[in-house]
Amino acid sequence: MSKAVLVDITKCVGCGSCGVACKMWNNLEYRKESPMLGKDSKLDAENWTNIKLVETETGAEKQSIWRFVKNQCLHCEEPACVSACFSKALQKTKAGPVVYHANLCVGCRYCMIACPFDIPKYEWGKVIPRIRKCQMCPGRIKEGNSPACTEVCPTNALTFGEHKDLLKQARATINNDKKYVQHIFGEKEAGGTAWLYISDVPFKELGFRTDVTTQAVPHYTESIMHLTPAVGLTWGALLTGMYVYNRRRNTIANEENDNKKGK
Amino acid sequence: MDEQLKLEKKVTRRSFLKMMGGLGLAGITANIGTGVANAAQNGSGQGWLPEQYQSAGTWPTQVRGRIPISPNNPSITRDNKKCILCGQCLEVCQNTQTVFGHYDLPIVDDIVCINCGQCALWCPTAAITECDDTAKVMQAIQDPDKYVIVQTAPATRVALGEEFGLEPGTFVMGQQVAGLKRLGFDSVFDTNFTADLTILEEATELIKRIKGDIKKPLPQFTSCSPGWVKFCEYFYPDLFPNMSTCKSPQQMLGALAKTYFAKQKGIAPEKIYSVAIMPCTAKKFEIQRPEMNSSGHYWDKSSLRDMDAVLTTRELARMLKQKNIDLPSLPEEKYDPLLGEGTGGALIFGATGGVMEAAVRGAYFFITEQQPPAGLLKLTPVRGLEGVKEAAVDVPGVGTVKVAVCHGMKNGRKVLDAVRKGEAPYHFIEFMSCPGGCIGGGGQPRSAVPPSDEVRMKRIASIYQADARMKHREAHENAEVLKLYQDFLEHPMSHLAEELLHTKYTDRGKRFNQLKA
Repeated sequence: MSKAVLVDITKCVGCGSCGVACKMWNNLEYRKESPMLGKDSKLDAENWTNIKLVETETGAEKQSIWRFVKNQCLHCEEPACVSACFSKALQKTKAGPVVYHANLCVGCRYCMIACPFDIPKYEWGKVIPRIRKCQMCPGRIKEGNSPACTEVCPTNALTFGEHKDLLKQARATINNDKKYVQHIFGEKEAGGTAWLYISDVPFKELGFRTDVTTQAVPHYTESIMHLTPAVGLTWGALLTGMYVYNRRRNTIANEENDNKKGK
Repeated sequence: MDEQLKLEKKVTRRSFLKMMGGLGLAGITANIGTGVANAAQNGSGQGWLPEQYQSAGTWPTQVRGRIPISPNNPSITRDNKKCILCGQCLEVCQNTQTVFGHYDLPIVDDIVCINCGQCALWCPTAAITECDDTAKVMQAIQDPDKYVIVQTAPATRVALGEEFGLEPGTFVMGQQVAGLKRLGFDSVFDTNFTADLTILEEATELIKRIKGDIKKPLPQFTSCSPGWVKFCEYFYPDLFPNMSTCKSPQQMLGALAKTYFAKQKGIAPEKIYSVAIMPCTAKKFEIQRPEMNSSGHYWDKSSLRDMDAVLTTRELARMLKQKNIDLPSLPEEKYDPLLGEGTGGALIFGATGGVMEAAVRGAYFFITEQQPPAGLLKLTPVRGLEGVKEAAVDVPGVGTVKVAVCHGMKNGRKVLDAVRKGEAPYHFIEFMSCPGGCIGGGGQPRSAVPPSDEVRMKRIASIYQADARMKHREAHENAEVLKLYQDFLEHPMSHLAEELLHTKYTDRGKRFNQLKA
C-alpha cells in the first residue's frame, strides 16, 4: 500500500535530471546563490531536492572517487514533523507522502525543529511564509504515476514502487553484490522512511546522518505524554487531600478558639 | 457643518474598534473554514501543486532526462533553467558518439566525456553551450602588453556566415580575416598552414611505418580530432601504438607561434597570446592537456602554454556582433604571412575524408616524387557522409595502399573493433569525432532544425569547391611550410619537429569502470 523510492547511489552520475524535474513539476525558482546540483548545492525553500557531489576516497590505494547524493524529504513512516504540527498542516498520507497544507499552517516552525534530517525549509523572505519541502508528488502518485524525479532518471538510480518490494529488492542487491555496504539507509532510521538508499561508500562519508535514532521520533514524546492522565489525577488527588486536611485542621482550631472564648 | 458632525458621530472610537473586531473574527472564521475545506481536498494527495502540470501536455510529453556534465568540464556547460529534459543530448551522446551508457557504474572521479560538443549542437533550447571564453580573449586584446595572434580552422569559413543570415556553406574566408582584424587581433593566421605541415609529418610517419623504419603497427590512425583522441584514450588505449604521434594542426601552430614566429619577429614568447577559432569544443580541452607546452620546453619556461584560448565559431560570431561588425559586408582580406598560407589539401581537413585525401596526395608525392594523378585530386570514395568509407590507392613502389575513413564515434567503434581483432586490412584510417567531420563540429552554428545532413553536405560541398579552385592543392606546394623546414625544422620528423609537433597519449581506461561484456 505504502509507496517508496529506492536510491542506488552507485548508479547516480550526477546529471541533475531529477532536480530539474522537481523544479518543473513544482514550479520552483532557480537561484544562483543556491544551486541544486554540485558540491555547494543545498536544500532550501526553492530546492526541494539537491544532488550533492561528494569527493571521497576508497580502497587501500585511496583512489579518489565522486559520488552524488540526492537529498530530499525522506517521508518517514512516523514523521516527527507531523507529530509536532499542532495545526495539522503536515499530514502523513496512506500512500506514503508526507504532505504540507499551507492553509492550515500557522508558521510556528516546530516541524523544522522536530525533523531529525533538517528537511523543512521556511520562506524567510516572504510576508506570509510557508514551510517548503518535497511532497513526493502526491498528485502524480494518486494518478498512478511515479514522482517527477524518479520518472526522468536516465540511469535508473531511482526506483519507485511498493515499500515492501523495494526493501526486498534493496536487500537482494546488497547481498548479491559485494561492493555495496551492508546497510539500507532508511530501513530503520527514524523508525523507517519511504526513501531508501543503498551505497558502496559508507553512508557517514557521504554526509548522511547515521547517528539518528532507529526509533520513530514521535515515540519519545508519546512515552512521556501518555503519563499525563496519571500525573494529573495523582496531582489532583494530592492537592484535594491537602485541602481537606487543612480545612479540617482549621475547623478544629476554630472550634477550640470558640470553646476558649466561651469559657 | 451638520454633515461633518454627523460623520464624526457615526465613526466613534468604540464603533471603529467594534468594526475591526468583527472583521477580524470574520476573517479568522473564513480562513479556518476554507482551510478545512482545502485540507479535505488536499488530504486526497493533490498537495498545492500547480494544477496545470497535472494534465498531460504541459508537463513535457517526452521527459527522458539528460547527460551528466562535470563541473570541471572545460568545453561545455549547461544552464539548468533552460533544460527541458527532452533527452536529445542523451540520444546523441549514447547513440551517435557511444559515450554515455558505454561505461559501467559507479563513476570514478570524473564524468566520462570526449568534449565533442555534439550535445550542444542538438540541445533544442541551447541549455548546453560551450564554456564562454570571449571575455578572456577581449581582455587579452585590450592588454597593450600582449601580442594577440589568432588562427582559424578550415571548417569555420564555410559556417560562420550562417550566424549572419547567409546560406549554409557560404565561403567567408576573406571576411572572417577582415572581421578578426577589426576585432583587434594583431596577426591572423591560418590553421591550414599547420594542416599542410601535419600532412607532411603524418605522411612521413606513415611511409616510415609501411617501410618498417619505425617499429609501430599499421594501420596508422589520424590524430587531429581531439574528441576522437580522447575517445581512443578512454575506450581503446591498447591501440595507442597505432595512433599517429602528430599533434593536431591547432597545437602545431600554437607551438610554432611561440617559437618560430616569436624568433622571426623578435617578440618575447610570453607576450604572445595565442587564440584559435575552431568549429570544435574539444579544442578547449586539448589546450589544457598538460603535455601541450612544447614552447615552454623550448624556451625553458614552465609557465608557457602553446595555446591560450579557443573560441568556437559561435563565440566568434558573438564577439563580432557585440562589436557591431557585419560580416557579410566586410571586404575580403588575406591571412598574415609566415603562418598564413594554406593549400587545398589543408582546406579539406574540415570535411570527413579530407585528411585522408590530403595525406594520400602527400604520401604519393613523397614516395614517387611525382604529381599525383587526377583521380587522387578527387578521391571520391572517401568523400560524402557514409559512416565508414574505404578506398584503395595504387602507389608505384609501394603497391596498393588501403585506407578507411569514419566519422562519428559509433562508426569509429566498428572500425576500432575490427582493428582489435586484426580484421582491418588498412594502412591508414582517418577518424573524426563529429558526424561529417569538423564542418559538423560541436562549436559550429546551430541550425533551427536538429543538425542535418543537408546542412553538413552544403558545408562540405563548399569546402571541396574551394579546394578545386585552389592553385596549390598539395601540402608540399606550400611555400611557407617549405620555408619553415628550411629555416627552422630542417626536415619532417627531425629532432626539433618531434619535440614541437609530436605528442604522446594518456591512458584514460582507468578513469571509469569498463562495461562488463
